[in-house]
Amino acid sequence: MNLSPQQQKIIEIVPQGAPSIVEESLFEVRKKIYPRAVTGLFARWRWGMVIFTQLLFYGLCWVPWNDRQAVLFNIVERKFYLFGLVLWPQDVFYLAILLIISAFSLFLFTAVAGRLWCGFACPQTVYTEVFLWIERVFEGDRGARMKLDSGDMSQVKLLRKGGKVLTWALLAAWTGFTFVGYFTPIHELWGEVWNFRLGPWESFWLCFYSAFTYLNAGHMREQVCKYMCPYARFQGVMFDPDTLVITYDTERGDPRGSRKKGIDPRSEGKGDCVDCQICVQVCPTGIDIRDGLQYECIGCAACIDACDQVMEKMNYPKGLIRYSTENALSQHWGWREILRHVVRPRVLIYMGILSIVVSAFLFGLLTKSSLQVNVIRDRGIMGREVEGGLIENVFRLQVMNVSEHYQFYAVKVEGLPGIKLASDHVIELPAESSRVFTFEVRADPESGKPGSNPISFEIESLLGDAEAHEKATFFIPR
Amino acid sequence: MQKWMWILWPSFIIAGVAEGIFFSLVNPQELYFLGDPVHYSAIATYSIGFLAFWMVCACSSFLTWSLQRPAGEVNARG
Repeated sequence: MNLSPQQQKIIEIVPQGAPSIVEESLFEVRKKIYPRAVTGLFARWRWGMVIFTQLLFYGLCWVPWNDRQAVLFNIVERKFYLFGLVLWPQDVFYLAILLIISAFSLFLFTAVAGRLWCGFACPQTVYTEVFLWIERVFEGDRGARMKLDSGDMSQVKLLRKGGKVLTWALLAAWTGFTFVGYFTPIHELWGEVWNFRLGPWESFWLCFYSAFTYLNAGHMREQVCKYMCPYARFQGVMFDPDTLVITYDTERGDPRGSRKKGIDPRSEGKGDCVDCQICVQVCPTGIDIRDGLQYECIGCAACIDACDQVMEKMNYPKGLIRYSTENALSQHWGWREILRHVVRPRVLIYMGILSIVVSAFLFGLLTKSSLQVNVIRDRGIMGREVEGGLIENVFRLQVMNVSEHYQFYAVKVEGLPGIKLASDHVIELPAESSRVFTFEVRADPESGKPGSNPISFEIESLLGDAEAHEKATFFIPR
Repeated sequence: MQKWMWILWPSFIIAGVAEGIFFSLVNPQELYFLGDPVHYSAIATYSIGFLAFWMVCACSSFLTWSLQRPAGEVNARG
């Protein structure tokens, strides 16, 4: 674009004050966090989720199904078993869709109610919760643990620490074993472990995953969420002013300060927050929720439970810290208003995409055939004359029996008058196997035009539970 | 420590994703290594594959780490 000097607008860039090059490091030397135990509604929900997810994880790999493991990602045989469903490498599409469904569910939950996944279902949260519980059993709650850590080494300290480390190690080893048990049949793995016949790579992955669990849940804890989790970094993108997040009601709480019980805080010019710091002490990531929404907040709601108990003791209404939205707080909305704003374009778009993908997935699964056929023309022989003046073409059919039982299939060919198979009409295939069968197909040269004629193979299971139609071309020489 | 976390952790995540995609599409028993068919067990091939992906990704993370360092830091530490 050419502009005359008069048309050019010059914007002068003026430095504002001193140049401020501040390089902030995201990582800081960690001060050990001693989360205080918390009870209450959300703590019960979290424990419920811990028990549910762990029963599922530790238990599901032992559930039998048709004389095999119900859920097994057999990477050696390249077959994934999910109860009645068997996925082969060519079904990788279903796994991809499953991942898309998981991702969009996560987006939807996050848009509606923040980091529900992080606070209640993420393995990092779940194992940290369990490891913390073990720590509490051996070393006591926050105060006792801080005292024990700062004190000198003694017999009691050694016993308490040793007991904790041993229990952690056992649980971590069991977790590692279970994890590997989803990729190698777990009963065989169990036998191999006890007879010391574990292969080098299986041993490696078992130790690797156990050590990973031990370090992440025992030592890294909130650092995983703060410095290692990619989701924590981009979850803010899903947030908007109508997203439910854990919020401190500044208007109601500030100015903070201690006061005598029974006194009206307004008479002293104070808000409802007694500045007891319990919300900070229970926080697994060690932040102060009263500073507002921070990326470190994993949405575990421990501070809500803790604050509600304090409010109850003070005879103040609960909910100084609560699930609320930015809009609700600034416009003093009640629950009804908040719920009305759940339905908004962002949520509808996520729901729309999710329902389309889920329907496609279900449709694919329901119409998935246990029989797969590929027709390959024999390139060596195009069309030859055989006895009786008939023309013969040779086809190779790769037939795959994906079902879990032995199958007999009837093979038919259609498309030209009088077209028929020269060889056997019934083929058999063991469960979960594939083979190539050769078929000679014969037809009268007068039944079609010279050149290529469309025909089709009809393959049908004699049990009647699967069928396939495959197109092919029958060649008649001039 | 922090440097190693930056290099090893993102590469670990991406190596996991790459491993998943690569071996969903490619059968480890059909691979050729230096002209010869791979004869290791499937688990060994998967594991070596993962470690190799991890190493390649770690190299990339290492470059990112070295290139994002501000001048002052490079001059100070050489």
